[in-house]
Amino acid sequence: MPVSSYLALGAILFCVGLYGVLTKRNAVMVLFSIELMLNAANINLVAFSKYGLYANQTGQVFTLFTITVAAAEAAVGIAILFALYRNRSTAEADRFQSLKG
Amino acid sequence: MEKYLLDYNWTVMAPELIIAGAAALLSIIDLLMKEKQDKRVLASLGFVAVLGALYFTVSRFGQQPYEILGDTYRIDDFGLVFKTLLLTGTALVLAVSLQEAKRKEITAQGEYYYLLLTALLGGMILTSSADLITLFVGLELLSISSYILAGIRKRRTDSNEAAWKYVVLGGVSSAFILYGMSFVYGLAGTTNLYTAQERMAEAMGNGMESFVYLSLFLMLFGFGFKVASAPFHMWVPDVYQGAPTPVTTFLAVVSKTAAFALMIRVILGGYLFLFNSRTAEGLELLTTALLVLAGLSMVIGNTVALRQFNNKRLMAYSSIAHAGYTLVPLATLGPMLFESTVYYLTAYLLMTLGAFTVIGIVERNAGTGDISAFAGLSRRSPLTAAAMTIFLISLSGIPVTAGFFGKFYILINAVATQHFWIAAIMLATTVVSYFYYFGIVRMMYFRPPVLEGKVKVPPASALVIAVAMIGTVVLGITPQWALEQLGEVNWAAALSPLNGGAPPAQ
Repeated sequence: MPVSSYLALGAILFCVGLYGVLTKRNAVMVLFSIELMLNAANINLVAFSKYGLYANQTGQVFTLFTITVAAAEAAVGIAILFALYRNRSTAEADRFQSLKG
Repeated sequence: MEKYLLDYNWTVMAPELIIAGAAALLSIIDLLMKEKQDKRVLASLGFVAVLGALYFTVSRFGQQPYEILGDTYRIDDFGLVFKTLLLTGTALVLAVSLQEAKRKEITAQGEYYYLLLTALLGGMILTSSADLITLFVGLELLSISSYILAGIRKRRTDSNEAAWKYVVLGGVSSAFILYGMSFVYGLAGTTNLYTAQERMAEAMGNGMESFVYLSLFLMLFGFGFKVASAPFHMWVPDVYQGAPTPVTTFLAVVSKTAAFALMIRVILGGYLFLFNSRTAEGLELLTTALLVLAGLSMVIGNTVALRQFNNKRLMAYSSIAHAGYTLVPLATLGPMLFESTVYYLTAYLLMTLGAFTVIGIVERNAGTGDISAFAGLSRRSPLTAAAMTIFLISLSGIPVTAGFFGKFYILINAVATQHFWIAAIMLATTVVSYFYYFGIVRMMYFRPPVLEGKVKVPPASALVIAVAMIGTVVLGITPQWALEQLGEVNWAAALSPLNGGAPPAQ
């Protein structure tokens, strides 16, 4: 069944992304990892639009929406990182820890 | 018959169109204004737009559900109730922020006002979507606007840091929700929630249970983040503490309510078949998962709050605990699922808004976010102290307040469906919560004031506190009336597909 190989790719990508978010110290890498997770979902959607139980084009339309939204999210993430970098002069995510209690 | 653009009844979308129009208008006016100009006029415009949208939302009650935009968007009573809550919350937050902006706390005033409106718009889209695509776009509109709002004080490190944590964990939760949605699409071949439900029920019978559960639990993971329930609560204290107080209020009140609407809509709209399937296995699994989320939220929220000395952090843990309480009716599928959830969310909205407004005033006055800022408030501003006491009593769930009856109805749901252990956890953690809520009361009444002089309460904030206080007390005195009103709402319409909406207008 061809769909399972695509699903496996998606799952691997998702797990790699999740691992990256949880372990990477560089903030830019964390943002990249989130993109990986979102793209894993996109791969799933496109695979299902070809090999799903009811294959149709809706999945590809959904992907267009998610790509746009992911771009907006990445832009905001980078902008916030810029503001943070200006104030703290570091992009090491584990040093952003002034809030605690 | 072919339906054309103008054959649809566009007035049903009036609230959304007003808010979208107002957000666009505000951003243009902001561009035309000078940098140093006072931008509070934008807040007034936004306030008027929210009130207008509220009017159109309320006047729509009791009418037939209607689907528009290719059946992706449905206006039913369920959505309208939640939209009323969102709009009320945003109107009050806008009123409070006038003061905050005046004090130059928020420098990017223009952006602040129209991002509040776009976040609100995202929340409104979320509450009345019947399609995975619109749900996702609404969710992201709300989330992305909130990320920027959390970091709107861009020169302050704590605000930046709050925004960073929010964008990372929010992005992860969005990815989980989207990944779950992709499996729903794979099983159903459609993004319409109600068609997906029918086809997933078929798939369930054809040995695809594992994928159905996978999609459900991936989405639950993301919803857990969005409603701020434990064990997905890591971001909540940091974001609540670092964001400006009005934004924290918005996140605690509006964002959470919208997330609950999303959660209820997806679970009851998309996975309804789990409840009437022949094997009770699926339902058992879902109920257990939700109850564990609820129980953990209550325990973690209420116990960790005991150790907090920062007001907003304390309220963040309190809000985690309240997310736990609010999850109980959905988890147990009690007899008053919708009524008790909405009653509790209304009560929560009023008391949290009030409490955060007072916290904002006190913080500004004392120049510290520490609990000691409340010391001797009863002598420096007796009325504010009295109002805060009422909010805290309501939050802790002591009789004759909205919070008490909210918890009482939730408890009825739990007991009526024989989930005694969650009722026990709820009662035990409620008692624990008295300690930290009354810690603030003790500060206000039994500690000598550190600073001298009266605390100035700005008129807009005083108005918001008064509205919240009256609401809390009135809901507490006439809970039966409120429940009857909520009982008349056509909740069942949220559960069933409309098959193409109403016929075109002649």
